Amino acid sequence: MSRGSGGGYDRHITIFSPEGRLFQVEYAFKAVKAAGITSIGVRGKDSVCVVTQKKVPDKLLDHTSVTHLFPITKYLGLLATGVTADARTLVQQARNEAAEFRFRYGYEMPVDVLAKWIADKSQIYTQHAYMRPLGVVAMVLGIDEEYGPRLYKCDPAGHYFGHKATSAGLKEQEAINFLEKKMKNDPQFTYEETVQTAISALQSVLQEDFKATEIEVGVVRKENPVFRVLSTEEIDEHLTAISERD
Amino acid sequence: MGDSQYSFSLTTFSPSGKLVQIEHALTAVGSGQTSLGIKAANGVVIATEKKLPSILVDETSVQKIQILTPNIGVVYSGMGPDFRVLVRKSRKQAEQYHRLYKEPIPVTQLVRETAAVMQEFTQSGGVRPFGVSLLVAGYDDKGPQLYQVDPSGSYFSWKASAMGKNVSNAKTFLEKRYTDDMELDDAVHTAILTLKEGFEGQISGKNIEIGIIGADKKFRVLTPAEIDDYLAEVE
Repeated sequence: MSRGSGGGYDRHITIFSPEGRLFQVEYAFKAVKAAGITSIGVRGKDSVCVVTQKKVPDKLLDHTSVTHLFPITKYLGLLATGVTADARTLVQQARNEAAEFRFRYGYEMPVDVLAKWIADKSQIYTQHAYMRPLGVVAMVLGIDEEYGPRLYKCDPAGHYFGHKATSAGLKEQEAINFLEKKMKNDPQFTYEETVQTAISALQSVLQEDFKATEIEVGVVRKENPVFRVLSTEEIDEHLTAISERD
Repeated sequence: MGDSQYSFSLTTFSPSGKLVQIEHALTAVGSGQTSLGIKAANGVVIATEKKLPSILVDETSVQKIQILTPNIGVVYSGMGPDFRVLVRKSRKQAEQYHRLYKEPIPVTQLVRETAAVMQEFTQSGGVRPFGVSLLVAGYDDKGPQLYQVDPSGSYFSWKASAMGKNVSNAKTFLEKRYTDDMELDDAVHTAILTLKEGFEGQISGKNIEIGIIGADKKFRVLTPAEIDDYLAEVE
């Protein structure tokens, strides 16, 4: 039984290829794109907003059970883009970890601590052969006591960064190009501007106008640091404001 | 460590006697962002490029140079997530040493223990080697020290070293510029000039990181403003 580069196992488990790459990690990124959904996150002056597509493939499905937006604690939200089953596992573990943190240390888990925990767990899967990397890119959002609104993105390779705005999924690169132009001069968006930038970025990149039932929107605001999923009425208001603006 | 299904080493000898997984790990290091370290007569400086994938990334949320103990700092080239694991383990080892001996861990000891961890991952079952090389900068009773640790777990003490993409140019540059009686300030200038050599784009306090430790034995990372001041001096 040969191991190492000659054996071709570098594509099956997370060992190095001759070029120093980890193919399993790269394939995990492809799995995120294969889910066919794009997500966007934008950080404003005193709020953070995440938006994702809501594709219900079958009319018989209970559409309220189709979601990629998960509250981890009352104050932290997670938008998972990619393989739904992997996302649910990650969310379950994150919820557990955040609850234990609160119990152990007596204060709420900060956004960056959760992001780091998710990223460190992802790193383990890239180094140990017995578990494959998860096909999920996680955007974590919340209001930090010291630093204010925070948006972090964690990927299958174990990287995590704070972002002013970011994207994940099928049209990730197009969305990032769009957002780079919008965020070029470090604008300090109000809550309405933050939400509308996120939604219009998604509309522009996918080149379609959405109905309120076709997208999911999650927000945290400094004045009310609870993670909230917007209702269809609220989403409608924002969509109307965007179309009136254009 | 690892599942019993993988209780065999993934890093094994090839017929020519090479450990190819380690070589591939070194290739991964070689494609990472350039970093370097210089030992001066009265301190050590380590520096790295900090190129982020997009302007949308909040650069204040990323710090590549990390503190292991108040008098030891570390920088890497290669895979960021692997680096975080090693930083965490090293910090714990330093703290355990302190708890046992009631004194700060000497630089050589910390380097040795970190290197031992990296070696374990080249031999244990079901794991791959770390895709990082480390530059450890410290100042203890034996004076200023700079060590480089490779994915294989081997480590050497250096007067000056570089790792990552631009390693051969950087090392040639350092060989020309290095003098044994360099002061810390000169070393910082030399470090900046070396990074500038292979730098694509406009160098500034926002896209490089510099960490220094002087005779005060306190390792610290320079602020972007301080780096900009040094850059102005170098112009």
